[in-house]
Amino acid sequence: MNKKSKLSPEERELRRLQEESEQKRKRGEHEGRNLLSELNNALDSATRVLVKGLSAHKWQSLVIPLLAIFLSLATISVVILSFGSSPLEVFRSLLAGAGWLPKVNYGGGQSQLTDLVNLATTLTPLLFGALGFVVAMRAGLFNIGIAGQMVLAGFAATVLVGYSDMSALVARPLVLLIGIAVGALAGALIGFMKYRFNIHEVVSSIMLNNIFILVVSYFIKSYYLDDVSRNARAASAEARLLTEPIQIGEVSARLPVGFLLAIIAAFILWFFLTKTKQGFEMTAVGKSPKAAEYAGIKIGRTVVSAMALSGAMGGLAGVTHYLASVPSVAPDKLAGVGFDSIAVAFLGNVHPLGAVLAATLIATLSSGAVYMSSIVGVRQEIAALITGMILLFTACGGYLRAWIDVKKRNMAESDADSSGDSSACVASKVSKRENEVAAETEVEALQSADNAELRGGDGK
Amino acid sequence: MSILDVNYAAILVDGLSFALPLLIIAIGGIYSERSGVVNLALEGLLGFGAFVGALFVASTIGLFAVNSDLPMYLSFLFAALGGALFAVIHATLCIKFMANQVISGVVINILSVALTGFLTSTINANFFGAASERFTLQTSPRWDIPFLMEIPILGAAFTRVYPFMFIILLVAAFFWYLLYKTRFGLHVRAAGDNPHALDAAGINVARVRFWAVVISGALAGIGGMSFAYSISTDFSPAIYMGYGFLAIAALIFGNWKIVPTFAACLIFGLTRSAAFQLLPVFDASAAVIDLAMTAPFIVTLLLLALFGKKNRMPRALGEVYDKSKR
Repeated sequence: MNKKSKLSPEERELRRLQEESEQKRKRGEHEGRNLLSELNNALDSATRVLVKGLSAHKWQSLVIPLLAIFLSLATISVVILSFGSSPLEVFRSLLAGAGWLPKVNYGGGQSQLTDLVNLATTLTPLLFGALGFVVAMRAGLFNIGIAGQMVLAGFAATVLVGYSDMSALVARPLVLLIGIAVGALAGALIGFMKYRFNIHEVVSSIMLNNIFILVVSYFIKSYYLDDVSRNARAASAEARLLTEPIQIGEVSARLPVGFLLAIIAAFILWFFLTKTKQGFEMTAVGKSPKAAEYAGIKIGRTVVSAMALSGAMGGLAGVTHYLASVPSVAPDKLAGVGFDSIAVAFLGNVHPLGAVLAATLIATLSSGAVYMSSIVGVRQEIAALITGMILLFTACGGYLRAWIDVKKRNMAESDADSSGDSSACVASKVSKRENEVAAETEVEALQSADNAELRGGDGK
Repeated sequence: MSILDVNYAAILVDGLSFALPLLIIAIGGIYSERSGVVNLALEGLLGFGAFVGALFVASTIGLFAVNSDLPMYLSFLFAALGGALFAVIHATLCIKFMANQVISGVVINILSVALTGFLTSTINANFFGAASERFTLQTSPRWDIPFLMEIPILGAAFTRVYPFMFIILLVAAFFWYLLYKTRFGLHVRAAGDNPHALDAAGINVARVRFWAVVISGALAGIGGMSFAYSISTDFSPAIYMGYGFLAIAALIFGNWKIVPTFAACLIFGLTRSAAFQLLPVFDASAAVIDLAMTAPFIVTLLLLALFGKKNRMPRALGEVYDKSKR
């Protein structure tokens, strides 16, 4: 006993498992079902390791997306192998294309740094869009109108500021303000229609997406068309959300103005949603509108302000997209970024800080794709396929969580039953602790069920 | 050009050729949502269905006589199969893996765009030896229906019609009957409104929902194939025009019932075709069509604002069915 108690809990647990499986195997040999029971044992202990590793809920929100990413990369590797290319080479060149790794050679005036700056530029609207989606989702609203809010804000900023001759110091803050104002109005409209007329936000945002892009297309084609690009005429350099070229070493780069703002916005939103009264009210309405109303929260005002905040983020995504990451507003087509940001929000666990990590990953995949395709010769659509697979496996995360909870409870029970043998003391200690954990888990499971409701219960 | 020279027949026929595919996709959505499974995946399902149908045409075209219409008819069958197959993912995620149904729908859409784009260009490069991101289809024949086309005014709806319009009408009628007049349809509607009662009656809720989602995939596939024939005569990523989302809007507008949804689809289709045909009358520039096209969306929003309070979605829509919860 003395000797045992000096060992760390993990080692003790491992030893107990070994003993247990040894006993089981002996029993199995007697019964002559050697192979089958051994296989069972192996599966059993693998399950135990997995359940043990993932049982802390604190880590699950990090581990499950990582597991999803791993599974998706593994699946895609098989696909790449079947085309006779090397998966490692594909992933390496994806990272190189996005600027995380050095490329084989660079064009004049370019370096890894330029690629990283480009990555930050494409990441910015994706992050703003995801943040907008997260805010709405926290309040129980499904804002798929981000793409529409983007195009309206981007177009308004281009026309009002981009075609004027304001100096950069006036123009850039004005562009950001217009983005916030136009986006917030477009978002609030959805919230207002939901509250006042009971029009579901999914329907109204689909309608508004279509209306916005058509109206913008009309104005572009009638008044602002660039004859060469067939897009809207480009905004002045002073209005674009990229700095003047800055010399860094041998290369010069235009830094995206919005990037730092987006990161700061993520932290502010996190603080707002978790630490302030208004943020709490939004979350409460998202979790249970009836309970919130009973507690004296004004539902209508909360819904409209949540959608306005969400739309403001969508508007910022619009100006950082149309006035930084692409040359100008294109007619007839909503930006794919608006829909990709929904994926980013989900991958980031519908959490503002999770969105930062998720946006980095998705932006890496999409901006590395062209270079990867040119180097390895695998089609660049594979990057989108990786994103899709990651999401597919992330969507299964809830199931994995529930499965782990069930397994853990079963294990705790079976351990409590078998605590009569040699390692009685240790086992009972372990099982006692496990019972505590199980009780804790139950509370957490209830909470996460609440969260699930918040995320999708009223999603449609 | 005066208002008398407008091709009213074209307004009717083009309107119907847009409304009917939209209707069949929306009916698919109705099946899924009446069974309690939110289906934002229609966009992805219609695209994957059209992809499988077009792949069938592209790979078997040498086996048929030159002017045979058989591949076209078979392509609808394969599109339905492809859509149903892809819907199995949505069904599995939502029912077996208890995933959030909205997330699952978004995943299916993203996956469908990525997968069909990747597969189309890969298959074109490796098997057909062409660097192209589209499968070309034969142009669909268009029929004049004898006798019916001679009815004044309404007869115009029976000239130059697409064969798929009849396929869709038949399929839609069948699935209307299935939903409202059969035992299975009752189970589907119960699964979305009161799954516990259905369970108490000894019916497997998960199975009913699974088949409802698979049906929605098959119907969306047929709709996607129709769009591939009527709008572009090929399959390319351009098929993802948001018609799946439009179908969702139509079915919510139609209060999750088939006949009112048909009315919504007709509004979308006819305003769209009327805008195209009436433009020359007013000497309007091509850009004005964009403004005219906002009409169906604005009309929908106004109608919903006026009558939306009466809308009632299936009670258990979006809820994962859990026997132990009561």
